[in-house]
Amino acid sequence: MNKSLIIARKEFTDGITSKRFWAIVALFFLLYVATGFVTTSVFRIGGITESRGLLQMTSSVASTMTLMAPILGIALAFDAISGERERGTLKVLLSRPIYREHVVNGKIISALALIGLTVTVSSLLSISASILLQGTSIALDDIVRISLFIVLSILFSFAYYSISLFISTFSSRSSHSLTISLGVWIFFAFILSLLGSLIAYTILGPAPAMSFNPDFNRTQGGNAVGISQAYLNYSRKVEEISSTVQAVSINYHYSSIANSLFVTSVGPFGQQAQQIDLMSLLSSRWIDLLVVAVFPVIFLVASYFAFTRRQEK
Amino acid sequence: MSFAIETKDLVKVYKDGRTEVRALDGVDMKVPKGSVYGFFGPNGSGKTTMISILIGLLLPTSGHAEVLGHDAIKESVEIRRKVGLLPEGFGLYEHMTALENLTFLGMLDDLPTDRARSKALEVLEAVGLQDRANARVSAFSRGMKQRLGMAQALLKDPELLLLDEPTVGIDPDGAAEFRDIIRRINSEGKTVLMSTHLLHEIGMLCTHAAVIRKGKLLAQGSVDDLSQPVRATRGYGYEIQVKSGGEALLQEVKHLPETKEAELRNGKLMVVANGDIGSVLFSLAAKGQYQIESLTPVNPSWDDVYQFYERGDGQ
Repeated sequence: MNKSLIIARKEFTDGITSKRFWAIVALFFLLYVATGFVTTSVFRIGGITESRGLLQMTSSVASTMTLMAPILGIALAFDAISGERERGTLKVLLSRPIYREHVVNGKIISALALIGLTVTVSSLLSISASILLQGTSIALDDIVRISLFIVLSILFSFAYYSISLFISTFSSRSSHSLTISLGVWIFFAFILSLLGSLIAYTILGPAPAMSFNPDFNRTQGGNAVGISQAYLNYSRKVEEISSTVQAVSINYHYSSIANSLFVTSVGPFGQQAQQIDLMSLLSSRWIDLLVVAVFPVIFLVASYFAFTRRQEK
Repeated sequence: MSFAIETKDLVKVYKDGRTEVRALDGVDMKVPKGSVYGFFGPNGSGKTTMISILIGLLLPTSGHAEVLGHDAIKESVEIRRKVGLLPEGFGLYEHMTALENLTFLGMLDDLPTDRARSKALEVLEAVGLQDRANARVSAFSRGMKQRLGMAQALLKDPELLLLDEPTVGIDPDGAAEFRDIIRRINSEGKTVLMSTHLLHEIGMLCTHAAVIRKGKLLAQGSVDDLSQPVRATRGYGYEIQVKSGGEALLQEVKHLPETKEAELRNGKLMVVANGDIGSVLFSLAAKGQYQIESLTPVNPSWDDVYQFYERGDGQ
């Protein structure tokens, strides 16, 4: 058997039997149940029972995934190499007639399998549950969107796996590797968006008055919501600057494309949102797709480079 | 004489910021095939660095190392096919059973799955752990982990074993059992290089030894060769167990020109001489005027040998 596959098989068995893995899986389901419960309640109040309701439900799955996929990736990678180094098993492993690439390949293969399994099973289970609970119908287009969402989520989780793997290759302690990996996640997921807004407000100065119109009639749509044009322009510029700052974050690109896959039934200012055609979506969001696909590759190459050149004392 | 390991002017420098540490400083080491080679030195003297270079975990800064005729840099995979390593701490997967550990590692040693499993059972028996094959390693004592560590090093039927401080933290019984295992392995023709900072292990187990300090090899050779200069400098020691006529024998020994010191204590005549006077003493004792039970040369302790080379007396 190929030596990468021998290592992958052992790593997969270790992963699937580890308490840490099942704790993450349990957290996944807990969050799905919680968000699913909230969304179902909103549907009942709003009376939404169509297929669009299913996509709204899947959108809540996407929010959970944005939070949980990086945690899954980090949990599988932070001690992948540093843990072996700490326990002294890396020396025994590297004293066999193998190349260092076999070790990295084995770990990557098993991680892909574990991430794929977790993301696919948890997404399908929660979506199936929502179909059963709400009695919603499902169209071919929905299946394609959900499949695309699962692939993107696997790539997103795998991107964090590869970041954490890279950190693990040069860390001598798993605790350091975990701290740095979580730091990267917190930066991309929370700090960068705050930083984006902060930079935008610093550049643009204070916001103009919102001038609310009390005679606003929702059915008129558009600017009739009563917000002044100056305020809308200001908000748009804030959004543009913030997006530019966040463009370095994979979370931003993943969220953008994952949310685009699932339309909202009611827009933020009361207007009806349109479901975007899948092909138009893919062509307009190709940069997001590219970033989500390329991000893991960059860090995997970096991990190979760092690990194969590192010497073990 | 053919050598299992041969290094030439081996240097390893670790850089930490602006600080440079020469872990190995021009080491020329020759480990004869079939020997049990004790690699002795205090902590931080460069023993682990040397073993790591030999197995391909580290690259030397300069110099040359050959293991079983293979270049340690260019042919490290070939070396790892023929060399077993027992690192300090043993490096076992604690959550797996002994058999799972060995089967996994055996497969990485190019054994097919079935053969890896049967070989694992064989080596478990060789180290006396056949009854614990299906027990998790986390439940093993340190001595058992050490034997399991040895078992994993034996999986590939190695020609050479590199053991890094194998008996650290092991109780005396466990260490004695382990020495028996090494003797048995050595009797099968395998070369064993064992690093240690425990001097007594050299005397108990090794046929050859090297003394390393601060990355420099102070001395190497067979155990007898290493103690010879110490005897020559400090004197040849003899212990004669006397039954009767001790005082007369003492006076006669004191008059020998080579005698440096002679003393009678509790029926034992302790002699230190400038040269090898074993045969002279034997002739004296055989005269018949004295009754002696035994005449034994007293080898210098390994502590003496180390002190001798460490102070540079052997240069």
